[in-house]
Amino acid sequence: MSEKKNNIFSTLSSMPAAIWSSVFRNNLPYTDLGRSKTSFNNFFLHIHPVKVHRHTLKPWFTMGLGLISLFLFLILVVTGVLLMFYYVPSTAQAYDRMLDLRGSVAFGVFLRNMHRWSAHGMVAAVFLHMCRVFFTGSYKKPREFNWVIGVILFLLTLFLSFTGYLLPWDQLAFWAITVGTAIAGYAPVVGEQMRFLLLGDTTVGQEALLRFYVLHVAVLPVVMVVLIAIHFWRIRKDGGLSRPEEADIVEPAAVGTVLATPAPAMAMATAAGGINVIEKKNYGIQGLVRGPFAKVGNVPDNSVFSYPNLLLAELFVFILTVLGVLLVSAFFNAPLEEAVNVLHPPNPAKAPWYFLGLQEMVSYSAFWGGVGIPAIEVLVLLLVPYFDRGQKGVGKWFAKERLLANTLFLTFVVVNIVLIIIGTFFRGQNWEFVSPF
Amino acid sequence: MKMRLSLAIASLAILGVHGFVFYQQFFHKWETYQNSYFDQARTLAKTDQEREALASRSPKIEQIIVTQFGSTRVDRCTTCHIGIDDPRFKENNQPYKAHPYTAELGDREINGKWERRHKFADIGCTVCHDGQGRGLQEFYAHGEDEFWTEPMLGYVVQENWRPEFKDKLKGKEFMQANCAQCHTDKDFKSTPLVNKGREVFVQQNCYGCHRIEGISNGTLGPDLSDVGKKWSLNYIHESIVDPRANSATSFMPKFNMTDEEVKALTIFLKSRRGFNYAETQLDRYRATLTKSPATSPESTEPGATTPAVADAKLGEQLVQQRACAACHKIGETDGGIAPDLSYEGLIKDSEWIVAHFKDPRALIPDSIMPTFTFSDGDFRSMAAYLGTLNKPPALNNPQEIYTNLCMRCHGDKGDGHGMIAIYLDPYPRDFTNAGFMNSKPEDRLISSIKNGVGGTSMPAWGKVLNDEQIKGVLGYINQNFTKEARTEIKPRKIPDQNPVAMSPDSVARGEGIYLQRCTGCHGRKADGKGANSLDILPRPRNLLNTAFVTQTNDRRLFESIMYGVQGTAMPPWIDYGLTTEDVGDLVNYIRSLNQGKKDAGLMTLLIRGH
Repeated sequence: MSEKKNNIFSTLSSMPAAIWSSVFRNNLPYTDLGRSKTSFNNFFLHIHPVKVHRHTLKPWFTMGLGLISLFLFLILVVTGVLLMFYYVPSTAQAYDRMLDLRGSVAFGVFLRNMHRWSAHGMVAAVFLHMCRVFFTGSYKKPREFNWVIGVILFLLTLFLSFTGYLLPWDQLAFWAITVGTAIAGYAPVVGEQMRFLLLGDTTVGQEALLRFYVLHVAVLPVVMVVLIAIHFWRIRKDGGLSRPEEADIVEPAAVGTVLATPAPAMAMATAAGGINVIEKKNYGIQGLVRGPFAKVGNVPDNSVFSYPNLLLAELFVFILTVLGVLLVSAFFNAPLEEAVNVLHPPNPAKAPWYFLGLQEMVSYSAFWGGVGIPAIEVLVLLLVPYFDRGQKGVGKWFAKERLLANTLFLTFVVVNIVLIIIGTFFRGQNWEFVSPF
Repeated sequence: MKMRLSLAIASLAILGVHGFVFYQQFFHKWETYQNSYFDQARTLAKTDQEREALASRSPKIEQIIVTQFGSTRVDRCTTCHIGIDDPRFKENNQPYKAHPYTAELGDREINGKWERRHKFADIGCTVCHDGQGRGLQEFYAHGEDEFWTEPMLGYVVQENWRPEFKDKLKGKEFMQANCAQCHTDKDFKSTPLVNKGREVFVQQNCYGCHRIEGISNGTLGPDLSDVGKKWSLNYIHESIVDPRANSATSFMPKFNMTDEEVKALTIFLKSRRGFNYAETQLDRYRATLTKSPATSPESTEPGATTPAVADAKLGEQLVQQRACAACHKIGETDGGIAPDLSYEGLIKDSEWIVAHFKDPRALIPDSIMPTFTFSDGDFRSMAAYLGTLNKPPALNNPQEIYTNLCMRCHGDKGDGHGMIAIYLDPYPRDFTNAGFMNSKPEDRLISSIKNGVGGTSMPAWGKVLNDEQIKGVLGYINQNFTKEARTEIKPRKIPDQNPVAMSPDSVARGEGIYLQRCTGCHGRKADGKGANSLDILPRPRNLLNTAFVTQTNDRRLFESIMYGVQGTAMPPWIDYGLTTEDVGDLVNYIRSLNQGKKDAGLMTLLIRGH
C-alpha cells in the first residue's frame, strides 16, 4: 500500500521532468556534446547543422537578408491567417470587410498594416537577398540550382504580393490589377489566354477576386513553403553558406590550445579528409555537410556550435525584423481608397510599386517593356550560374575576379530601381513626366 | 555579450510598440462618450429601476443593421451618439445631443410625447445623413476620409475639396437627395430642391446629352443614372460649374446657371443612385412591364402648351431657355461646339430644320446633335424663329467673309482645325493641303461653297453670298492657305454615267470587290470607320451618308475611285488593277447601300437639303 502510494508520489513528482525530457530529449546543454544533441534532437532546430562555420556568422556577409525574408514570410502567414477570419472574397462584401477591419475589429488596422508592410518588405528583402548572393558569387557550383530555386521564390513572392493586392477591392487594388494583368496580356500568342485564365473573365471582377484569393491564401503559400524547404535543405546539403577558400584555413587561435599544428598543414590535413584525430573531440556526428566538412567532425576547423551561436544570430535578426514591422505598422496605415468604380480609372492608374518598372517600360513599348525584356531578364537570371562557371571569387563581396559579372548585375539592379523610381514618383496624369518636388 | 544587450533592448522596444498598439486598440473615444452618457443619464434618472438598468450597462459597440434599403447597411453611429433617441438630451452638445423632433419630417406629438416618423431602429442613420456607418473613429465615420464618396451630407466639408465650393456645399438641404431615395414622387413637397433640380435638368437641356434612367435617353455624355452613388457632392458640383476640371477631354458647355440652380441640380443628381432605396428588383421589373423605359421629358415640363401656329416670338424664347447657344453660335453668343445659326433663315428652310430637330442623324449622319424631345409645336416655333435670322451679313472683303463665316470650322490658318472642328464629322477641309486643292477644278470648289456639301455641316453659302463674293473668298483661301499656283488639271478618261447597269449581279460583284479592297479604311459597314480610319486625315468618307452619296454624281465617284483623291489616303485604284467595269460595280454597290432606306419625303429633303 505504502509502496504504491510512494510510487504515485514519485511518478507525480518526476512527471514534469519526464515530460520535459520526452519533449526536449535532453536538458539545457552545458557541454559541446549537449549542444550538438540539442540541435540534433529538436525538430525545429534540426534544420540547423550542429556546427556552423564562423564565416557564415559574419553579420556583414549575409546581412541576414535571407532570414529577414523568411521571418517576413512567417509574419505574413500568421497575420494572413488572422485576416482570413474576417475576409470574404466577394465583390459585394470585400470592401465592407476592409471598413470593418479599420472600424471595429480589434487590432484590425494593425493586422492589415503588418500584413501590407511585411508583404512590401518581403519583396524588397528577397530582391536584396538575391543581390547579396550574386555580389558574393554564392551561386557557383554546387549551389547553381539553389540559385534557380531562389529566383523562382523571388517570382513567387512578387506573384503572392500581386494576388494579395486585389483583395481589399478598392480603387487602388482594382486598377493596379487591371494594369498588371493588362501587361500580362501583351505576351504574344498566349498573352490573352493567360490573362483570361488569371481573371476568369475579360475584366477584373468577381471571378478574378476569387481566383486571386485562392491563389493568395492556398496555392501560392503552399508552393512557397515547399520551395523554401528545398531551398534550406539544399543549403545544408551544399555545405552551408558559401565562403572564400581562405576562410577554411584554421588559425591556431581558433582551435585553441588543443592544436599545435601550423595552420597550412592543418588545412592540408582537412582537405585530405582528416587524418589527424584530436583526442578530446572523440564524439561522432553523422554527416553534416559535403565538401571538406562532410565528415565525422573530428578535425579542427573554423566552425562553432550552432547552439547557441547561430540561434542567437537568428534570434537577433528575428527580433529586428519584428521590431521593424511593428514600428512601421504602428505609424503608417495601409492605404484604403474608395470602393471599386469600374467606370472611373484613376489617372494615372498605377500597378503595385514593384511592377512600376515594368509599367514604365510598357509606356515605351507594350511588347518589349511588358513581356520581352522581363522574360529575357528572368531567363538570364535563371541561367546565370550556368553561364558564369568560374570558381574564383566565391564568398567575397565584390570580388576582383568577378568584376565583369558584378558590374553587369549592378547595372541590371540600378536600371530596374531607377525605372521603378521614375514610375513611382515621376509619372503623373497620362503618364507624363512630373517632378515630385 | 554586446549582442545579448542589443537583443534585450530590441525586445523592450517591441514591448513598447505593443503597449502603444494595445492602448490604441482598447482605449476608444466612444467608450469615454458612453461612460459620460451613463453618468449624465444616472443623474437624470427618476426611478431606482432606471438607475439600476444604467448601472448594469457597460460601454459596447452599438449598431443598427438595416436590411431594407438595397444592400445591407451597418450603422454604428449610435456608438458615440448614444443619446440620439433620448429626449432628455436635446440641449446637450454633440455627440450626446438627441435628434430633434420635427413636424416637417412627420414626427407627431401624442399626449405630450413625441413619436418619430422615421424610427432609427428601422432605418438607421446613414440612409438620411450619409457618412460611413461602419466607422468608429470620427474621421472615418463622418466621411472626412478623402476616399469616401458619401461624407455626411451638408455638414462635413472635406479638407481636400476645392476651397471655393466648401461654403456652397454646406447646409441641411443637401439631405433632400437622400429623402428622394424613398420619396420618389416628382412633387414630394419636402424635397423642393430635388424637384427643382429635376426641372433644371430638363430646362437646361441636360437630358439631351445625358441618360438618367426613367427620365432621359441622351447618349452624348456620361450616363447619370447612378451618379449620386459614385461621386461626392463636391465632384458633381465641380463637374457642373467647370466641366473640364475633372475630365480634360469633356466638351460639355459651361451653362449659365445661378448658384441656386446649380445647388438644386447637384442635389437632384446626388439623388440619382441607380436603385432607389425603396425600390426592389421586382419593383423595377414590374415598372418595365407597365411603361416605356423613358418617359418623355415634355410631360414633366411646366406649362408646356402646344401653340396651334408657329410663333417666332415663342420660338426665340424657347431657343434662349433651352440654351441652344451653349453649343451653337447665334449672333453674339457662341457656345463653341456646334455650327453657326446666325444666318440659318437664309440657309435652311423650316421644313428641313424641323426634320433635323426630330432626328438630326437622319439628315447629317455623323452629327453629335442630341435628339431633343420637345413638342411638335415647340419645334415649329423654334424653326420659325430661326427662319427670322435671314439678314445677310454686311461683309466687304474676302478676308471678312472668311473670318466671319469660314474660320469657325476651317480655322484661322485654314488647316481645318477651327474652333468647332473636333465636333464635326466629316472634319472640315484642310485648305493648306495643296495636293487636294489643286487636283480639283475650280468649278467643283466653287460648287462646294455655293451649294454646300450634302450630309455634312458645310452649308450652301450661295444663299448668303453672291457669286462674286464666293470667287473672292476662294481666291483668298488660295492665296493665303493653299499658297500654290493652280496648275492645269490633266484631262482624264472618266465616264460621265456609270456604264454598268444597276443589277443585283453587279451589286453582288461590287460588294465582293468592296470587301477585298475597301474595308480596311471605309469599314465593313461602309460607315467610314475601318480599322485604319483613325490613322488617316482626312478621314475616309462615310459611304452610308445618303445625302452625300446621292448628291455626288457618277463622274465624281468614278474619278475618286479610279484616280484616287490627291492629298488624301485614297489611292488610284486603276493602278491596283481595277477596271472601269469593276469601278462601275463598286459604284452600284455604294449606291445600293443608300437606296430604299429612307422614306420619300426625307429623300427629297436630303437632296434639296443643304
